[in-house]
Amino acid sequence: MPSYDSVLKEIYEVLQPFAKEDQSLSEETELVTDLGLDSIQVMELLLQIEDRFDVSIPLNIMPDVRTIKDLVLQLIAIVTRPQ
Amino acid sequence: MVTTPSDNKLPLRAADFATLAEALDYAAEGDTGCNFYTGKGELYAVLPYAELREQAQALARRFHSLGLERGSRVALIAETHPDFLRFFFACQYAGLAPVPLPISINLGSHKAYVRQLRDLLVSCQAAVAIAPSGFVPFLEEAAATMGLRFLGDPETFIGEFPEQAAALYPLQSQEVAYLQYTSGSTRFPRGVMITQQAVLNNLASIIQDGVKVRPGDRGMSWLPFYHDMGLVGCLLVPVAAQLSMDYLSTREFAMRPRQWLALLTQNRATISFSPPFGYELCARRLRPEEMAKFDLSAWRVAGVGAEMIRPETLARFAQVLAPSGFDSKAFLACYGMAECSLAVSFAPLNEGLGVDYVDGDYLAARRKAIPLDPSTAQAGRISSFVNCGAPLPGYEVAIRDEQGRTLPERHSGIIYVKSPSVMSGYFNDPGETRRVLSPDGWLNTGDIGYRIGSKLIVTGRQKDMIIINGRNIWPQDLEYLAEQQPEIRPGDALAFAAPGPDGADLTILVVQCRETDAGKRADLMARLQGLIREELGIDCFIELVSLHTLPRTSSGKLSRSKARQNFIDAHRWEAMVQRTRPAGELNLRVG
Repeated sequence: MPSYDSVLKEIYEVLQPFAKEDQSLSEETELVTDLGLDSIQVMELLLQIEDRFDVSIPLNIMPDVRTIKDLVLQLIAIVTRPQ
Repeated sequence: MVTTPSDNKLPLRAADFATLAEALDYAAEGDTGCNFYTGKGELYAVLPYAELREQAQALARRFHSLGLERGSRVALIAETHPDFLRFFFACQYAGLAPVPLPISINLGSHKAYVRQLRDLLVSCQAAVAIAPSGFVPFLEEAAATMGLRFLGDPETFIGEFPEQAAALYPLQSQEVAYLQYTSGSTRFPRGVMITQQAVLNNLASIIQDGVKVRPGDRGMSWLPFYHDMGLVGCLLVPVAAQLSMDYLSTREFAMRPRQWLALLTQNRATISFSPPFGYELCARRLRPEEMAKFDLSAWRVAGVGAEMIRPETLARFAQVLAPSGFDSKAFLACYGMAECSLAVSFAPLNEGLGVDYVDGDYLAARRKAIPLDPSTAQAGRISSFVNCGAPLPGYEVAIRDEQGRTLPERHSGIIYVKSPSVMSGYFNDPGETRRVLSPDGWLNTGDIGYRIGSKLIVTGRQKDMIIINGRNIWPQDLEYLAEQQPEIRPGDALAFAAPGPDGADLTILVVQCRETDAGKRADLMARLQGLIREELGIDCFIELVSLHTLPRTSSGKLSRSKARQNFIDAHRWEAMVQRTRPAGELNLRVG
C-alpha cells in the first residue's frame, strides 16, 4: 500500500502546473475553488493521475473530492482496492 | 468478447412500431446490439438486443413483485452501462415510466448533487430509484425521508424481488414512455412527458428522413443517457432501427477525446452525433502526427446539434481530420429539444454545413436577416448562422413576434412548432405546461430564429438561457445562489451571457450590493465565484453595482436583456480579459 506522503508528493507534482505562479499548495487547497480548475482541466488532471498511478478513477468519487487531501485519500483507496 | 455485427439478417424496419417494447421485440430477432467500451478502449460488455429483451423482461417480472401502480416513475441514475438499458426497457415491459437521472462529475459537488437528485425525485414523485452501487449513497441521502418502495443497486433489486409469472403488459401507445429532465434549471426542474406515440413518431422521422438509416449502418456515442440526444438519438434510434451501437462513457470521452475517433476507426461506425463542443475538444487535443492512426472514411453522418453551432469550430475539426479520411460533407446540422422528443429539423444529408451570412447589426436592431456577401462585406458586420434544414414531416413551424404575429421569411422571432412528436406536457406542472404549450398544440420553443423558405436558422437558444460551451445554465440558478448570500436580497441579481473577446459567450452575474468596504466586496465576489464553480462547474464574471441600478421593463420586472445590453455597452473586452479566464466547460448537460 502506498504511503499517504508518497501519494501526496506525487499529487503535488501533478498539480503544480495547474497552480498560479505565486500559489503554494497544501493538503487543504481546494481543487476547484482555490486552484480554479474548470471542468476541462479537471479531466486533464484525472487523465494524468490515471496514467501515472495506472488506475481507473470511478465516476462516483468525484463529488466527494474537494481538497488535495480528499484526492490523496481517494487515490489510496482506489490503489488498495482489489481491481 | 466479440462486438455485435453491423450487418443484420433482419430486414430494416424504421420505427414503424406502436411502442418501444415492440421496437425491442423486433430488434431482438436480429444479430445487432450494444457494445460498451472503457476509456482505454477495451470492450467490457456486449449486449445483443436479443439478450437485452430477455433480461429486461425478466426484470419487468421482478417489478411485478412490487405491485406498483401502472405508470409509476422509476428513477434511474443513467450511467453509460448495460444496466441502464436493462432497467429502461424493464420499465417499458412492466408498464412503468423510467426517469433518467444525471451523474455529477463536478469535483466537490456532493451537496449540490444530492440536492439536485432530491429535487428530481420529488418532482417526478419516484416510486423506485435505482443506481449503480457507487451512486446509491447519493440517492439514499437525497431520498432520506421519501419512503420510496425500493432504492438500491441492480443486484439488490434482483435479490429482493422474485420474478412473477403474470403476463407482461407493456406500456401502450398513449402512455408516457419516459420522463426527460435534461433541459431546464437545476433548481426548478421540469419533467418532459413523452408518450410512446410521440417518441415513435419522432424516431421514425429521424430514421427515415433525418439520418436516412440504411442496412449496415453502425452508431457510436459518448453522450449521456440522461440527455435527449444521448437517450433518444443514441439509444432509442438504434433500437428502433436495429442498429449496432458502440458506447463510451461521457467522462471517459472528456478525458480521452481521441478514444471517440479510435472507436469510430476500429468498428467503422457510420453515424455519430455530438454537440459542437465535442468536435472542438477533439480538434484542440489532437496532434498532427496522430491523424494517420485514424480512418474516419466510413463516418457518413457526423451529426451536430444541441447547442448553437459555430461554423468555425467545425471547419477546424474537418481540416485537422481530413488526413484521417473525414469528409466535411458528413456534418449534419440538426435542431431539436427534449420537448419535441428530440428532433425538429435536419439539414440535407451529404452537403455539410450550410451557412447563412447576414448583417449582424441589422439583425440585432431590426430583427431582419439581410444576406451579406462574406467576401466583400465589412468583417465586423457579418454574422454567420448554420442552416438547420427543413422541419421533419409532420411538423408545422412558425416564427412569431412577441405579440404572437406570424412573421415572414428572414424575419427573426420566437420559434413555435406543432407536431405529433411534441410532449404532452411537463409532469405535474400544469402552469409551466400552459406557458409553453397552447391548447391547439403549438409549442413555444423559447428559441429565436428565422426561416429561409422552409429551412430553419436558429440564432439564439432559449430566451435568457446561458449556454457555455454547450452546457445550459439557467440564469435563475445563478441569481438564486447570489440571493442566498446575507449581503444580497431577492431581486438584487441578474445573470446572462454576453459575447467575450473570442466570440464565445461568457457568463455574467450583476449584483446590487450595499457593501462599500473593498475587502468585504472582494470576499463576496470570491465566495460567489466559488459557489458557482461548485454548483454549476463554470467560471462567472461577477460585477457589483450600486443599489437601484438593475434595469426594469416597463411593467417593473427586472430585465435580463436590458442588463445584458447595458453590460455590453459599458465594458471593453480588453478590461474583462484580465479579470476572467475563458472557461473551458464540458458539455454534459445539454438539450
